[in-house]
Amino acid sequence: MWRGLWTLVARPARGPRSPRPCTRQGSGAPAHGSGATIFALSSGQGRCGIAVIRTSGPASGQALRSLTAPRDLPPARKACLRLLSDPRSEEPLDRALVLWFPGPQSFTGEDCAEFHVHGGPAVVSGVLQALGSVPGLRPAEAGEFTRRAFAHGKLSLTEVEGLADLIHAETEAQRRQALRQLDGELSHLCRGWAETLTKALAHVEAYIDFGEDDNLEEGVLDQGGSAWGVGGGDIWHLSPQRPPYSLSFPPSTADSEVRELEVALGAHLRDARRGQRLRSGAHVVVAGPPNAGKSSLVNLLSRKPVSIVSPEPGTTRDVLETPVDLAGFPALLSDTAGLREGVGPVEQEGVRRAQKRLEQADLILAVLDASDLASASSCNFLDTVVIPAGAGSPNGSSQRLLLVLNKSDLLPAGGPDPSPDLPPHLLLSCLTGEGLDGFLEALRKELAALCGDPSTGPPLLTRARYQHHLQGCLDALGHYKQAKDLALAAEALRVARGHLTRITGGGGTEEILDIIFRDFCVGK
Amino acid sequence: MSCNPSFGGIGKGHLMREVDALDGLCCRICDQSGVHYKVLNRRKGPAVWGLRAQIDRKLYKQNMQKEILNTPLLTVQEGAVEDLILTEPEPEHTGKYRVSGVVLVDGSTVYAESVVLTTGTFLRGMIVIGLEMHPAGRLGDQPSIGLAQTLEKLGFVVGRLKTGTPPRIAKESINFSILNKQTPDNPSIPFSFINETVWIKPEDQLPCYLTHTNPQVDEIVLENLHLNCHVKETTRGPRYCPSIESKVLRFPNRIHQVWLEPEGMDSDLIYPQGLSVTLPAELQEKMITCIRGLEKAKMTQPGYGVQYDYLDPRQITPSLETHLVQRLFFAGQINGTTGYEEAAAQGAIAGINASLRVRHKPPFVISRTEGYIGVLIDDLTTLGTSEPYRMFTSRAEFRLSLRPDNADSRLTLRGYKEAGCVSQQRYERATWMKSSLEEGISVLKSIEFSSSKWKNLIPEASISSGKSLPLRALDVLKYEEVDIELLAKAVPEPLKEYTKCRELAERLKIEATYESVSFHQQQEIKEVQRDEALQLPKDLDYMTLRDVSLSREVREKLHFSRPQTIGAASRIPGVTPAAIINLLRFVKTTQQRQAAMDRLPQTDQRLCNTDKLEDRQL
Repeated sequence: MWRGLWTLVARPARGPRSPRPCTRQGSGAPAHGSGATIFALSSGQGRCGIAVIRTSGPASGQALRSLTAPRDLPPARKACLRLLSDPRSEEPLDRALVLWFPGPQSFTGEDCAEFHVHGGPAVVSGVLQALGSVPGLRPAEAGEFTRRAFAHGKLSLTEVEGLADLIHAETEAQRRQALRQLDGELSHLCRGWAETLTKALAHVEAYIDFGEDDNLEEGVLDQGGSAWGVGGGDIWHLSPQRPPYSLSFPPSTADSEVRELEVALGAHLRDARRGQRLRSGAHVVVAGPPNAGKSSLVNLLSRKPVSIVSPEPGTTRDVLETPVDLAGFPALLSDTAGLREGVGPVEQEGVRRAQKRLEQADLILAVLDASDLASASSCNFLDTVVIPAGAGSPNGSSQRLLLVLNKSDLLPAGGPDPSPDLPPHLLLSCLTGEGLDGFLEALRKELAALCGDPSTGPPLLTRARYQHHLQGCLDALGHYKQAKDLALAAEALRVARGHLTRITGGGGTEEILDIIFRDFCVGK
Repeated sequence: MSCNPSFGGIGKGHLMREVDALDGLCCRICDQSGVHYKVLNRRKGPAVWGLRAQIDRKLYKQNMQKEILNTPLLTVQEGAVEDLILTEPEPEHTGKYRVSGVVLVDGSTVYAESVVLTTGTFLRGMIVIGLEMHPAGRLGDQPSIGLAQTLEKLGFVVGRLKTGTPPRIAKESINFSILNKQTPDNPSIPFSFINETVWIKPEDQLPCYLTHTNPQVDEIVLENLHLNCHVKETTRGPRYCPSIESKVLRFPNRIHQVWLEPEGMDSDLIYPQGLSVTLPAELQEKMITCIRGLEKAKMTQPGYGVQYDYLDPRQITPSLETHLVQRLFFAGQINGTTGYEEAAAQGAIAGINASLRVRHKPPFVISRTEGYIGVLIDDLTTLGTSEPYRMFTSRAEFRLSLRPDNADSRLTLRGYKEAGCVSQQRYERATWMKSSLEEGISVLKSIEFSSSKWKNLIPEASISSGKSLPLRALDVLKYEEVDIELLAKAVPEPLKEYTKCRELAERLKIEATYESVSFHQQQEIKEVQRDEALQLPKDLDYMTLRDVSLSREVREKLHFSRPQTIGAASRIPGVTPAAIINLLRFVKTTQQRQAAMDRLPQTDQRLCNTDKLEDRQL
């Protein structure tokens, strides 16, 4: 009886009784009684013929429509061929078989969609990222599909026997993967952001919970953000002139920290083009002084005569592009004109184009003639390209550089290293092939760093999660700025922090309270 | 009211509104006894408004006694409880014993079908001033020692907490003229949903005054630490209601606020909030007189510390019944909380459940998705506490949905139907309000114009006309400067109707403010509720359970906290996702076995409950 009555009362809120039903709700609105919609790569990781990506939840239909070109749903439980494209960029992703399983007749009992795509890492990562951009979708937690199926009575008890083990394994794998993915710089960044956000949130929460009732000393929140690092109580002082209970100051410490975080996240998301690189290929630019053997290297790597090779300096005058598979990674290899000044207008234009291409490169293969290191053009190239790239560019770009000394066959056999003062480099002879294995291995490492390594477990999923949460965090920070209501502002920060802690772990309320009681003297 | 002369505040006000929604007394009594009403956080959004008032101690006591003594069928007997009367447990419930009454200190007995213990700071209470300690529940009252021993003997895990109270100062000895004065709100906002106004006009209310500590206060505290055993003790005190000593020690070289609050209309006492102290009395007076405005202050009673026993709240269920003793309920400081409001919230739930238990009805439990009361009890029963627990709004993950304005929509109907604790009048009012709100929201959603038309209709609003999509009236109501009144001027039909009731108009505005985020929050709430609908058998012996693969550590944690749902289990620190899945599987097996035994057509009643819960949350 209770339930019936409630449904009755509840109806007007959903709209149908109103004179003009709200069209905004549309067909994309998630169905009643639902949670979030989840997605994941369900087939094995790494390279394979076909990969299956699955969604479950009320927005599955919406997801299917957003990615497939004919925007109607396929008939239930029938495989249909559809062109998949990214709903944001309209960029085609793959031609794939899609299946639509309206609930409850589906694996989880909810609305489900399946995308059977070609198994290349580029395609899979592209589809996962496209799904992440559909409103209402989020990457699945470990074992979440099975758990939903279980909750909806779709799995028998024997089927679920192994579920705990599975979840344990998946959680472990994700944790290891997250560690692997996030080690070094990235992990450091992420933790730093999460800490910043936790602190900002703690300060806003302190302002809400203790600003008036508990004599939270006034003015504490409008101190400069830098002072907070100390975490002590002696930085700020009360301004007794301020009338009591008129704490209209905004929590501007939080504001400035959030602004900085927003900038950092935005830059990072723009910069970390890893997924995109994997899909469209990393830009690898071969550069160097004239006649160092750049074109020979390009031909060697592409295993076909892309560029004309001659002993004459300045043979290559334009940028020559060729897509290649380098050590298992897709790459766009560009041969460029040798960098030198004071030549004819055509070659000059070639040099200009080469320089422009260098700026856009993900990876520069800097080629020098091992037997000609002392020449003016070699020295100039070292000074203007190699050394600055090695020092790490000030604009924070993630450009990488590999220095290759070609023509090692011209060096005296068994002689000492011709160039002990140079930055780390490799010796290679395009002519004899000597040093090629070492070079390819170094190249593979560089590309793996650029693209993420698709051969180690489930990094694609991790990457989709990572990007999803960073974007989610950024969006929430945008809401924070817009919110006039402080409770809404705090909620936006909570959501933002939730996204980051999904990546880094942690995130309990106690953590916030600990910061509050460490930073503030609250109490009557 | 044995400590501060005030009720409510941020988070605490939320609890009070929920107690009132269940027809608890404190809000109504506060509306008859306040001397200074003030809503805190006015500028920070209605989800975090904190209703608060200075209360006249004497009036509160009188009004509360009048209400209680006039409650039909209620017998009131005063006396200290010394022991519990225990009998054999009921076999169909867990627990080693069953309580059937209490023994008073004079040896007389009171038999009862269920018992609620609210011991405050009395369990082995010890008062501390300077180096002196003596047994007392509060100044002038005997502690409860026999009862504490009984509880310990029964096997309850006992802990120790401390709190404190400031000295009291004679009103006429304070120089208010040089201090900052705070006036009450005009109009006063009543605590209770059923009151339109409070008993007293704003102009007749009393002001509060603000003063501050100074380096001399620090000096006195620091020089006399050797005379202050309360501060040195290891017993945990609250981080958020600290004594002046701990403030000085933890945050040196700072000035701290001291609010001078009236104790009542005709009281000549002032309560210096922020000055809780346990120095020897003469040093307290010395410290007071170096504060601005208090130079000639006369201390009428010294501040003191109290140390007392509490029982680890992981030993009680969400209905506040103990795992160990059937029909014995705990509420208030005995569970490790601090504050009148936290105590009132538990008192209401313990009382309701003590009565339901006797009538063999299912317990009345509030989920953390439904109210601050749920957050409070869930935190206590799953996480325990090691310092006096106080409510903050930041503890509630669904803060935007659990607002002071909508506590009646969340709880009154449930209280009426499931617990029978709500009066007919309140029930009807809450039902009317709920349906009016729902109707109003759907009407506001149905009115759609282009943004340029809205701009013409309501020039006061800063609507950006760039948007191509039509705007609903509900979207326009989100703008800070727009209220129902203004909307109704622009679109009199059908909106005029909604300006007639002030409360309705205000609540519609609040609903509009939070509409955009409430969808996401509802999704999360459903995910939590799905896990909470999955109940774990109450009689599960986790230590010996064979069918479930669990680590020793997880078993111990589950054994101690005895979570009642999968949701609660998943919030216990250290219980892994894999353990949760194993438990889930176990629950499901149990349910199937149960279903087979009952020969019921539906195999999955507990899962079906999910739908019911979902309907409840709107």
